[in-house]
Amino acid sequence: MGMLLFLLAAGLTLIFGMLRVINFAHGSLYMLGAYLAFQVVNVTGIFWAGLIAAPIIAAVVGALMERIALRPVYNRDHVYQLLLTFGFILVIDEAVRILWGLEYKQMYPPELLSGAIEMFGSSVPSYRLFIIGFGAAVSAALFFMLDRSRYGMIIRAASGDPEMVRTLGINVSLVRTGVFSFGAGLAALGGAAAGPLFPIELGMGFNIIIDSFIVVIIGGLGNIRGAVMAALLIGMTRALGYSYAPSWVDFLTFILLIGTLILRPEGLFSRKGRTA
Amino acid sequence: MSILEMQNCNVFYGKAQALHDVSIIVGDGEIVSLIGRNGAGKSTLLKAIMGLNPIKSGTRKFEGRDVTNATTEMLGRSGIAFVPEDRRIFATLSVDENLRIATVMGRKGPWNLERVYNLFPRLKERMNSRGDTLSGGEQQMLAVGRGLLTNPKLLLLDEPTEGLAPLVVADLIKAMELINAEGVAILLVEQNLKVPLKLAKRQYLIDNGHIRWSGKTDELLAEREKIEALISL
Repeated sequence: MGMLLFLLAAGLTLIFGMLRVINFAHGSLYMLGAYLAFQVVNVTGIFWAGLIAAPIIAAVVGALMERIALRPVYNRDHVYQLLLTFGFILVIDEAVRILWGLEYKQMYPPELLSGAIEMFGSSVPSYRLFIIGFGAAVSAALFFMLDRSRYGMIIRAASGDPEMVRTLGINVSLVRTGVFSFGAGLAALGGAAAGPLFPIELGMGFNIIIDSFIVVIIGGLGNIRGAVMAALLIGMTRALGYSYAPSWVDFLTFILLIGTLILRPEGLFSRKGRTA
Repeated sequence: MSILEMQNCNVFYGKAQALHDVSIIVGDGEIVSLIGRNGAGKSTLLKAIMGLNPIKSGTRKFEGRDVTNATTEMLGRSGIAFVPEDRRIFATLSVDENLRIATVMGRKGPWNLERVYNLFPRLKERMNSRGDTLSGGEQQMLAVGRGLLTNPKLLLLDEPTEGLAPLVVADLIKAMELINAEGVAILLVEQNLKVPLKLAKRQYLIDNGHIRWSGKTDELLAEREKIEALISL
């Protein structure tokens, strides 16, 4: 659960850092990812094909969203961008309803990961272990990309001073499209990975987006490193909460959020001037 | 041959006109300076040259080609580098990254990382420090080095010596001479005559968004007081 939260929060925070847009439709992209994966698995019968294809298709959808709709409203008030991404929710949800209908869809983990493993005296589904390892690998790759690669360098620079980056001959509007598209892909990857864990349904994006926003705020808006830590913190809190005090889980989550907003509104893990 | 030609440029901030019919020319490999008080329109003009302020009417020519409608990134790629007044170092990037990012889309040419580090050895010592930990002088060197790594034909320098210690200023002047000796034209913006008189052969004096005087440096020296009064320096 923590790792899924991270995939969403990382995309949200990257998009906010680069575009200054809060993407309400991120949960819908997560849901779209789950449906796309379901569809691909249904046709091909191969789980891995779904896990790979869903984020790629969602990334294309994301690129189109940015190019066609978001780009004309960057220079307007934030309200326009919020309204627009809210509009994306309606469009995506409606499209999913038309394409796949209202009933639950079910996805199964691949055969390789359908068993359980005995750990510390309890049995843990091996697919859940896979998700933890997979999420860790994706976050490591993401950090490497941001800290070491040329693309990461450009994203970090353009998050801080896009105009100056343009003077160096770099097409920042293309970078924006890339970042939005990449964030959409991450959300869909989360949705595809979540497919075998939860029922695939229309409301699934809504539940997780709230938690993702909490993660982004606790980690510090635009701070990826913070998002990882906050996703783990929220994930652990919820897991422990479910074991020991199930009726207090949401309460604990919001206590963390409110505590952060009061004590360190810039985020628990933020450093001055860090944008990525 | 001129490298840059701005003709009758009018630039507005909202409804307020910031530049009135401004025309300036920078020759190939030349150092030209643009002098004026705070708020005279110097930075506005540099930003207009770089495509960061829209030119409402007038033309911009680079190497004889009309590039009035070119975007900032196109101008950057075709050989104009911008070193802004507040340096605008990328705060979250290391010194080395601040330099390397300029090579991504920059032109190929004589300037590379090693030569910039040789020009400013201090940057090499600090290559792994974050941009926001640098002193003013280091920031200025880094901003110039970053501009150079796009291998420009024209370097726009906005008050490069402002607020720096005399020793650092001397270093920067030496660096500018060296850069110019490699054939890079420089448009130098300053608030006073000190550095321009040392470096530039031609001067433009700007006040209130109008070019008030232009001519050779010795002409300016000959009637210095009268001309200084013109732009109320």
